[in-house]
Amino acid sequence: MKIVHYFLLFASIWIYSCKPDTLQTLPEFSYQVENIELPKGLTGETGAIEFLPDGRLVACFLRGEVMIYDPKTKKWHLFASGLHEPLGLLIIDEKEMLVMQRPELTRLKDTDGDGKADLFETVTDEFGMSGNYHEWNYGPVKDQQGNLYIGLNTASEYGKVMPEVRGKLDTTLVPGKPLQKFSAVPYRGWIMQITPGGKILPYASGLRSPNGLVIDDLNRLFVNDNQGDWVGTSVLYQIEKDHFYGHPASLLWKEGWNKGDPSKLPIPELESIRTKGCVLYPHGIIAASPSQPVIDRSGGKFGPFAGQIFVGEMNQERILRVMMEEIGGQLQGACLPFLDNHGLRKGNNRLAFASDGSLWVGQAQHGYAGDLGIQRIVYTGKSPMDILTIHLLKDGFELTFTQPVSDSLPMDTSHFHFRHYYYDYHLKYGSDQYDVQDVAVSRVELSVDRKVIRLKLPVIKAGYVYELTLTDIFSEKGMVLQNKVICYTVNKLNDPL
Amino acid sequence: MNVIRNNNHNIKKQHLVSWWQTCNYYLIVFPITLALCLLLTNGYGQSGTDTVRIVLKAIPGMQYDLVRFTVKPGSYLRLVLTNADDMEHNLVIGKKDSRQKIVEAATALGVHGPAVGYIPKLDLVLASIPVLKVGESDSILIRAPRNTGVYPYVCTFPGHGNIMFGAIHVTNGIMPEIMADMDIPAHRRKSDIKGQEHISSGPPAERHPYPLVPPYYYRVLMPDAGPAAIAVCLPGNLAYCWDAGPCRLRYAWTGEFLDLTDYWTVKGELHAKILGSVFYRDKGGFPFRMNVNEVKSIAPTIKFKGYRLVNGYPEFNYWIDHVEVFELIIASKDGKGLLRQFRMKGLHHPVWFVHDKDDGAVYGSDKGSWFGTQLKLDPQEAAAFSIIMNKSGQ
Repeated sequence: MKIVHYFLLFASIWIYSCKPDTLQTLPEFSYQVENIELPKGLTGETGAIEFLPDGRLVACFLRGEVMIYDPKTKKWHLFASGLHEPLGLLIIDEKEMLVMQRPELTRLKDTDGDGKADLFETVTDEFGMSGNYHEWNYGPVKDQQGNLYIGLNTASEYGKVMPEVRGKLDTTLVPGKPLQKFSAVPYRGWIMQITPGGKILPYASGLRSPNGLVIDDLNRLFVNDNQGDWVGTSVLYQIEKDHFYGHPASLLWKEGWNKGDPSKLPIPELESIRTKGCVLYPHGIIAASPSQPVIDRSGGKFGPFAGQIFVGEMNQERILRVMMEEIGGQLQGACLPFLDNHGLRKGNNRLAFASDGSLWVGQAQHGYAGDLGIQRIVYTGKSPMDILTIHLLKDGFELTFTQPVSDSLPMDTSHFHFRHYYYDYHLKYGSDQYDVQDVAVSRVELSVDRKVIRLKLPVIKAGYVYELTLTDIFSEKGMVLQNKVICYTVNKLNDPL
Repeated sequence: MNVIRNNNHNIKKQHLVSWWQTCNYYLIVFPITLALCLLLTNGYGQSGTDTVRIVLKAIPGMQYDLVRFTVKPGSYLRLVLTNADDMEHNLVIGKKDSRQKIVEAATALGVHGPAVGYIPKLDLVLASIPVLKVGESDSILIRAPRNTGVYPYVCTFPGHGNIMFGAIHVTNGIMPEIMADMDIPAHRRKSDIKGQEHISSGPPAERHPYPLVPPYYYRVLMPDAGPAAIAVCLPGNLAYCWDAGPCRLRYAWTGEFLDLTDYWTVKGELHAKILGSVFYRDKGGFPFRMNVNEVKSIAPTIKFKGYRLVNGYPEFNYWIDHVEVFELIIASKDGKGLLRQFRMKGLHHPVWFVHDKDDGAVYGSDKGSWFGTQLKLDPQEAAAFSIIMNKSGQ
């Protein structure tokens, strides 16, 4: 049977490839990765990238440089230097930008118009620093009301607390057993809000390593957190005011906190106050260390995924894609690889869309798995064969593809392999997958236009990740399905009752 | 470096089974061998056994602390791995030249990776230690191949395999020069004892895409200061550390500026090192007093507002309650110390500048009146004044 399938497949490719005109005009791949040459002497640990309105790229590097690159001339120039591990950037214009560095959120200004910053104004330094290496800061992102949001990393049990700290010191959690990330000074492990008036407010707690913030077109704030203690697998959260997201260390700085060591609270109590993630990134399958999320606002210039979220991955030569939907009043959804290999490096820490619709990626390692440099991903115009969307149904999942699925193969259950599993919420670093079970697809339905497939499952359980592996799926034109694994986080069932 | 203990004890011939062979015979022999080896290793420390004990750590920077070691062909090896990093790692030992293939096969495991600890089922895999979570340890007892050669060990966690690996040199001789050892990662082919690396931050000219010409500055973690310090390199081999937390000068030194090698090597947890000799160290706390007569005056609120670059020199800007202060520090004219140029705005009463008498500096000013270690300035004088701080003994 399989031989017949392959015969049909090759036959269709052969027939297709016999149209020389079409073939010549079509590129081989849908996406191409290009390297951006960095200036000599620069250590390309990329902390932030964003674009100026005129199309030039601004990039921060961890040795303190802020540099501007003109894609037309391929020339770099130095805008500022000497900053402390700048990991975030918000551009006002070519003469003014906000940079999130370790000690402060700083407004850089070029007041004399010579192309270099000469004024460094503190927007806020009202958060603690213990001097622990792990206390990186992320953001800022701006909401529609003009509020800024920043993320403050926890401190590492493998680092230290300096004899002098900034802010009030609380040694409740300062490294002891059991090993876990800690918060020795105010608001480590929090998302902070900075109002247009410059006031800084603790906004949400329970983060471990929130390396990546984004605000979508509906003014919703999303943050990625990294797998580790209290984070069973890496996760995308929708951040809402006063919510707690699970890592207890930050609770020390909750107003009126009087319960002592928050990591010693009974798990059910922590569980009852925590907000779960919208999308889990299964560890070692989808991502081990997701970074910045960005929204594709290219309107199709970057391919068929407009409006979806792209996420960097530090550990692998990969960019991810995330899509969400509202089920039972809450957002949840799925993640899948977007681009594997293709010449992409590891350490994909920062992402930004250029006005031409290309996605620029800044890489870093900083002692972890990663790489150095900047690359750009260009859509060639050749539509990929990929999963466009996934929706949870009452009794299964509905997949929409970017192109009609080939009818050379019968669309039976053999192409779709589901597993489900869950991750535990606990102090210990990371979580195993629990209750890993194959879930048999009971029925496959294909739409008339062959773009939509409905997969019926006998039962769907809330609190599980549903991992779907697709095999032998081709487009009508014989293109192989680009990404074959998609993981949907079922927090709520799609059951109106 | 030779970590092997050389004593050749009598291991009976029938136990000489290559440790990767998976015949039934081995199943019987293994417990005997294991027991024998445990017996031999237990309590004997450095000498008297044929089992080599290698202790490996997975450490920050995507590496094993020991990047290579030797064992004699056919010898027994107790390999202990401790995960001292803050992410997960495993260890897979492969046949000669197998690393790339093992890593590719591990990547190809896809969704099945976590269940098998990212260890592919391949004949090329000789032995392995499963994924260790942070802080965990595990060990294996193995028998080195009888054929000499280089056997790779590698972490096959997704993304780690092309940077995190090392080499077991199975040999009766010595290892090649570390600089020429093509079986270890390129960035580890650098130095000396223990096979440990020391990543060079390069000569100053190559640290950045621009020449470092004083004045220039770094925001880095500095010793003997708060975590929000600024280190400034001045012309004439002078440098100072100004702390943007409490907004005050912490210390000054002469000589070379900073060694940032360690700071830039691993995650930034190690401080910058001062290369020169410190001649001034702040001992008296915040130097300005709004009311010197009040012994226990309420501590003023100090706020760091930022800095402006004036000919490349940072002019710090901060608030003392409602008084706005600007402070620019340059080398004094004769190069013997620092000249601190202040401007204060919003002052309606005198202000005192107070220093410790044994802080290493000799003070002078262009305005105000000195009373021992206290300089009194009226609001007009405080609008713009300079304090000179020369190295004492000059």
